[in-house]
Amino acid sequence: MQQEQVRQFVERYLASFSAHIVESHPDYLTVKLPVEIDKDIGNRPFYWSWVEKMNLAYQPLVLTFAFHPDRMPDGLRAEYIHLGAGRMQQIFASTKKHGQFVCMYEQTKSVWPSSGTRRSTPLVPWLGLNLKISLLCDKKRDILMYLGINLHEPRIVHDFTSFLFRLPLSPAIPDYFYTLDRRITLSQAVHMTQQEVSRVLDLEDQSWASEARSRLDEELAILQAYYDELALREQPAEEEIEKEENEIKETVEAMEQVEAAPPVEEQDGTASFDEYRSSGGRILDFLRANGIPMTPREEINQQEWKKSTPQEERQRRMDELTWQYEPRIDVNLINAGLFYLHSTPGLGRIL
Amino acid sequence: MPNVPVSFDTHWINPLTERMHEDGPWDKWELFKLALEAEEAMAVRDFDQLQCLKYLPQLTPYPHQMETAERVLNDMRGRAILADEVGLGKTIEAGLIMKEYMVRGLAKKILILVPASLVIQWTKELNQKFGIPAVAQKKEYMWRQHDVVVASIDTAKRDPHRRHVTDIEYDMLIIDEAHKLKNKRTRNYQFVKEVRKKYCLLLTATPIQNEMDELYNLINLLKPGHLGHTSSFASNYVEGKRQAKNNDALRTEIEKVMIRNKRSDGGIHFTSRRVQSIPISLTAEEMDLYAGVTRFVRDQYRSGAGGFNSLALITLQREVCSSKEASFMTLYNMHQRLSEDSPLRQEIMELVELIKRIDTHSKAAKTVELIQQINDKVIIFTEYRATQNYLQKYLHDHGITSVPFRGGFKRSKKDWMTDLFQNRAQVLIATEAGGEGINLQFCNQVINYDMPWNPMRVEQRIGRVHRLGQKRDVHIYNLSTVGTIEEHILNLLYEKIDLFEMVIGELDDIVERLSLSQSLEESLVQIIMDSRSSGEMALKLDNMGQAIRAIRQTKPSPSLAEAADQ
Repeated sequence: MQQEQVRQFVERYLASFSAHIVESHPDYLTVKLPVEIDKDIGNRPFYWSWVEKMNLAYQPLVLTFAFHPDRMPDGLRAEYIHLGAGRMQQIFASTKKHGQFVCMYEQTKSVWPSSGTRRSTPLVPWLGLNLKISLLCDKKRDILMYLGINLHEPRIVHDFTSFLFRLPLSPAIPDYFYTLDRRITLSQAVHMTQQEVSRVLDLEDQSWASEARSRLDEELAILQAYYDELALREQPAEEEIEKEENEIKETVEAMEQVEAAPPVEEQDGTASFDEYRSSGGRILDFLRANGIPMTPREEINQQEWKKSTPQEERQRRMDELTWQYEPRIDVNLINAGLFYLHSTPGLGRIL
Repeated sequence: MPNVPVSFDTHWINPLTERMHEDGPWDKWELFKLALEAEEAMAVRDFDQLQCLKYLPQLTPYPHQMETAERVLNDMRGRAILADEVGLGKTIEAGLIMKEYMVRGLAKKILILVPASLVIQWTKELNQKFGIPAVAQKKEYMWRQHDVVVASIDTAKRDPHRRHVTDIEYDMLIIDEAHKLKNKRTRNYQFVKEVRKKYCLLLTATPIQNEMDELYNLINLLKPGHLGHTSSFASNYVEGKRQAKNNDALRTEIEKVMIRNKRSDGGIHFTSRRVQSIPISLTAEEMDLYAGVTRFVRDQYRSGAGGFNSLALITLQREVCSSKEASFMTLYNMHQRLSEDSPLRQEIMELVELIKRIDTHSKAAKTVELIQQINDKVIIFTEYRATQNYLQKYLHDHGITSVPFRGGFKRSKKDWMTDLFQNRAQVLIATEAGGEGINLQFCNQVINYDMPWNPMRVEQRIGRVHRLGQKRDVHIYNLSTVGTIEEHILNLLYEKIDLFEMVIGELDDIVERLSLSQSLEESLVQIIMDSRSSGEMALKLDNMGQAIRAIRQTKPSPSLAEAADQ
């Protein structure tokens, strides 16, 4: 995203919530945050729970976003916003939260606007699913797939959004139109989608997965040989073990001189905290239940230290390797919509 | 895809079913479109290409840093030893790799273990340069509460912290100064071995002079078994403690896990060093003091009559080369420590009398002259607090603005002083090389007001300004008072062995290779204290200089250094 695109994105985002723009300058933008935006990107969960609990009038947050931080007037407190900025990522998350499910109707002039006779026109129900497919091993690649599923006469088209974005759509059904039945259920549509996803994935280049597999096998083989040899050669002599243990004991004693850890403090708000709050819980209870308690002094035991056995170590390393290399695919929903359309998409990209 | 498990997220089906049933509430069309655009902006379209730079508009890495990040990602699969020579930016490389894995969603929970003194600096750098929300571990709960934690290894290995750390699965583990993990018997080594990790970076500037075993241990931490079992490693590659055999094979193996960028690789442009000795003639009074103190020190050093420890005497000998203020404090303390009837008290009082008689300060005067002539930012290094204080006053009296800098300053004060120097003052007077992470590249003029006897300390001083990011040639002025030890040291040692002309970091290698750093200083002390005449001293120092030059020119026969370095 170039800075020009960043700016357009931010402006459209703010406009969607009818935010009050205090100043719009080519290099920066000052805005008074509406409540919904403040809660998503304002970083003040405790303020909001306080305001709501006490039923107070809230003080809106005023932010200035700098698109060209090197061109700021003196004395203006502004934050540099760009693709990698924390605030931009929060804005992205906010659009995802508020742009998850839509229902839209195509607005066309009635096809038979003949005077007098009121003939209705049918609209076909479509399910639009925008998917992010991630191919994962020690590396990663994403495939974005925008599917449209005809719920009246079951069939799937690809690249559904670029078709949708050309149509005039509105959240309300236009006059003189009616909607056709959905003949298949959502779960049937999901099933079709899954089949379509695997069909497309089968056509993709598979080499990334087979390469990851052979890397994994290779590494596992090295590991196997190493630990086999270790087991064979190192029947560690008794005194060696003893020596090692003594050494460790010494370190332990030295470490015990050092003071124990300080007590735990209250924590910042987290996502799970938000969930908890929205279900009406008390802050203090949450902290009590979820705080990570300080380990009591008497439970701190420097002696407890024990080294993993070679078997444990081998297993751990094998788990790590699998974790690192094993190829897998995640399919996640970006967002979804129900669309009632008069126009018919072409077959889309044939795959 | 055949045999690749596909997990299809279905959490959204119920909420959508509900909304279809209730016909709402529906979200806004515009936000739906924006959410899609956001995903498009962030999607990773390519397995191999670095993504992180588009998230870091304010960072311009050097080509070798980019290349390193790419190699770690694509060839080493996220487990590597980063062993660049000092000053090439290992932290930047580690930050790039970390950011890349975070951007790709492959790393979330990250642990960075560093020496305690570097915790704050790492935290700051990750936040400021990479926008990575790293926190410095202080409380027990932080291990779980935060995703990116910077901690000292000595804290992390202790209960109760250890229990948390060994319990958590870390997507990435980074260890700075990893050469400290060379001994597999230490608790630190075994602790690191117990940490569950997917990707792992070990950072070190000096893996090479280590013994063969140490390199083996380091690699075994990263990838157990990569070099085979200890005994097969020994029979395949080890000739002697520091000697390798089968160099090519060993090099190939090491190259799979280790990246070492060197200054000599080119591509990285360092500006030149321009060194100048500034001879200073002492006044008759100053020379009297110097001669008096020197005589006193030698007599005491040899006879041991006054019961002074030799360290105090050596210090005094150095101080008198720096300033009368520095030697006065030590003389005063010696005086106070002697019993009241000691005849030495009288001797010391006589030396103090010599100090009182001096009303000029030739070195300081020359320094002012030099600063005015330079007419730019200048850093003055001295070993002594008393000299520092005196200089600050002296410069002030001559209308030159200066700020002090000491190792004892808190981090925030160091930053503040650096800032003042950059924006307000002409001169920074420092008593130590400033510690890691203080960037003074905006300055290119260094005055060595007095000369440390340990060449590593000189190198550290210069290293503050002569590093990546320095755009101008660096000028170094060594003040040398004619007819004193200082002159000898400077002439015979620093100039004979071309200390100042070495490339950044070259000295590291030499000193390490010769195990010089301690013995060099010790031998110097010995020569200076034991020589009966200045002729004898000059001769001995000259011999020493030649010996060092000779060793420097002979390359060690097939060594680990070469095996790993080429």
